[in-house]
Amino acid sequence: MLRARNTALRAAGVPLIVAIVAVAVGYGLSVVLSDYLVFLGTTAIVAAIAILGLGVVTGSAGMISLCQLTFAAIGAWVVAWLNTIDAPGGFILWLVLGALAAGVVGILVGLPALRLRGVNLAVVTLGFAAAADVTLVQIQFPGATAGVSVLRPDLFSDDRSYFLLAVLAMAICAVIIHFVQHSRLGSSWKSVAFSERGTASVGASVSSSKLTAFAISAALGGVSGGLVVGQVGLAFPSSFSPIQSLALYVLSIMSGAHLVDMAIFGGILWVVVPELLKRWGVPQDWAFVIFGALGVQALTSGSNLGTGIRNVWWKRQLQRAGRTVNTLGEGVEAAGAAAPQPPAPVSTGAPVLVVEDLSVAFGNIKALKNVSLTVPEHSIMGLIGPNGAGKSTLVDAISGFLPQHTGAISLGGKPLHGLSPTRRARLGLRRTFQQDRVPPGLTIGAYMRFVARRRTTPSEVEDLLQFMGCPPSSSRLAAVDVGTRRLVEVAANILSKPRVLLLDEPAAGLSHEEHVDLGRRLLQVPERYGVSVLLIEHDLDMVRSVCSTLTVLDFGEVLDQGPQDEVLANPAVIKAYMGETEML
Amino acid sequence: MLAVCLTLMARLVRVVNFSQAATGMFGGFVAVWLVSNAGMPVWLATVIGILIGGALSAIIGWIIATWLAEADTSTRSAVTVGPLLLLISLSFILFGNKPQPFRPILAGPAFSVGGVVVSQVTVVTVVLAIVVAVGCRIILAKTSAGTQLRALSERPTTAELLGIPAKLLSVGVWTVTGMISALVVSIVAPSQSNDATSLAMLIVPAAAAALLGGFRRLDLAVVGGLALGILQGLVAQIDQISFVRNFVPFLFIVGFLLWLQRKEVWDASR
Repeated sequence: MLRARNTALRAAGVPLIVAIVAVAVGYGLSVVLSDYLVFLGTTAIVAAIAILGLGVVTGSAGMISLCQLTFAAIGAWVVAWLNTIDAPGGFILWLVLGALAAGVVGILVGLPALRLRGVNLAVVTLGFAAAADVTLVQIQFPGATAGVSVLRPDLFSDDRSYFLLAVLAMAICAVIIHFVQHSRLGSSWKSVAFSERGTASVGASVSSSKLTAFAISAALGGVSGGLVVGQVGLAFPSSFSPIQSLALYVLSIMSGAHLVDMAIFGGILWVVVPELLKRWGVPQDWAFVIFGALGVQALTSGSNLGTGIRNVWWKRQLQRAGRTVNTLGEGVEAAGAAAPQPPAPVSTGAPVLVVEDLSVAFGNIKALKNVSLTVPEHSIMGLIGPNGAGKSTLVDAISGFLPQHTGAISLGGKPLHGLSPTRRARLGLRRTFQQDRVPPGLTIGAYMRFVARRRTTPSEVEDLLQFMGCPPSSSRLAAVDVGTRRLVEVAANILSKPRVLLLDEPAAGLSHEEHVDLGRRLLQVPERYGVSVLLIEHDLDMVRSVCSTLTVLDFGEVLDQGPQDEVLANPAVIKAYMGETEML
Repeated sequence: MLAVCLTLMARLVRVVNFSQAATGMFGGFVAVWLVSNAGMPVWLATVIGILIGGALSAIIGWIIATWLAEADTSTRSAVTVGPLLLLISLSFILFGNKPQPFRPILAGPAFSVGGVVVSQVTVVTVVLAIVVAVGCRIILAKTSAGTQLRALSERPTTAELLGIPAKLLSVGVWTVTGMISALVVSIVAPSQSNDATSLAMLIVPAAAAALLGGFRRLDLAVVGGLALGILQGLVAQIDQISFVRNFVPFLFIVGFLLWLQRKEVWDASR
């Protein structure tokens, strides 16, 4: 417990300390460095802030955004405009307003992202950048033609102190982004990048995840644009051309900008490469040639500097920690090896999930025909049937992914008609997927907190992980196999304490022993966590040992329904399973 | 025209090539340089320029076919942002950032309809676009290379297992599209603002047009290109909203795509 609190304190304290040290170093640099280097340093920091924003939308949320400097231009435009009309509040306030304006535009540009993905979205953002660039050339920045330069705040009026201001802005942005990245919002970005269905099924809104990513990214762009105007006094469209946006994109991919330190490194590269070229007497345009080539390399190998370095570090850590992991594995074995229990008695609890007359048609194919079932409180119902019987379709329909279904579904007496998967998940109807829908970019702990959607204590998380036989919460999901990931998915959804949990073949990808273990654990779930379970499973051994009641689907229709032993003795059920030898 | 190329690429080698216009631009610039500095005749220089456009495109294609054979369209396309950047700055270095003195290959009005003069350039590009689109359709549908290409685009690994020379074919597609785009840029460049950036950014309206065909239908890509041109021309007539004109391709893309994909609520079909 004490250790847990220590880690929590460290998680909150270290970034703050790093930020304070960074500002101190920035102050030192602003005193020591030559005028020219201070100016370059400001440019690097401004670029780093823009790249930090790209790290959010592209690095974390996985959307290609090729118009980062257009957002910067909006920030710059607002600052320049407020300067020409001599608005009250001074530069700092203007900067914030510029960031807000860019954020709003970011949401507008992000709106198409709700339906467009991948290349299509990239084309849209590039189109926006090109159009905005031409427009800026036409209308110019306010005050630029008249030569009205932007006033810096009194405290930071000369280049050296302005550098310090940029460092301060950078530190504030970096700390905010660090905490957001580690919050549930940050997890939802990584989750949406990996699977939108997975995100919605845990009660996080896909739309708001994408839009917040765009808004925050654009706002950071706005800050960097505003700082540019303050730095150079007069803004010109050439500082914000689409080509430079492309270069920034490539740079952010290359450095791995979803990591704060790497975004700063990217900003430094942005300045250092052209500067070195200049010193060596090479035209500065070669810098973009280098960025282009490095970008091709980074994109083809699918790696980036940040994760590359971290992977090496994690590998070392794992080697060092190899022994402790082993001992923990034994502990898990001991917890799982509880005495075998008979399946729970047929529950007489009140019905919590009621499905009536549910039908789903894909074109002419009727996937489900008038399916009705009732899951009583604190029970485990099995849903079995041959391949293609419509089991997963039923789960999709109940969890809200097939709004075209007919019939009625209610959860605890509340009809779910017309509710999105996100709303249903928030009401306490959770599901897991047959496919791997667990975002590999998160640690197990972060994923558990993200899925739980409620305040949890670290010990509560660890207890549940141990109960389910999962690795500890500090492990990274990318480092565990798919079978274990799906166990973590089940554990995380249990942690959210739903009314009903729909499990779609949770044991696929596990060995037979692990199957049996999982069955034993699931048996305790209704009692321990107050959850009712609807379990899709092919392994009849597991079904026998876990489910009190069964529903059998065949060709989209309910073949039989009732207490387990009666259903399994039904000749029609046996016939439907003929040929599936593993069942008999 | 470039839209046709983009659609071809997207269909056949699963890439939306952001550097499409840039390779053409580079080939065109080489041609101009040869004319003005080496005193070559225009036609020879243009041919060399086209060959260079093809070769550049082939190199990019080879990189992608080698290391990204199994990657999805987004990743493969994102890679082409790199060459786009690289080619633009390389041409800054080699040719400077001034507009290039493209000597018009085709000039003069072709005919006039109701007082609107239609230039030869317009006629030729439209005809060329249609010819290429129709030609590709025939090749894809009738010849064995066409069948192999379609197999390749649908299931690359399976196609390779069947003994189809995947790499050779995709690099071939890249080369041909590179050459076509160099040709197009050579024709169109004199009538456009022809510095490196603007020419490379022709990719934006081209992508808009190709999107009309969803990067799959060649005929719709041609129609999209024409519609976009007409739309932009119309908007330009009205002075009050001339700066809105810049946003026309952008709004066109967004509006159309949103309508097209209004049902694509989820990223995966299941």
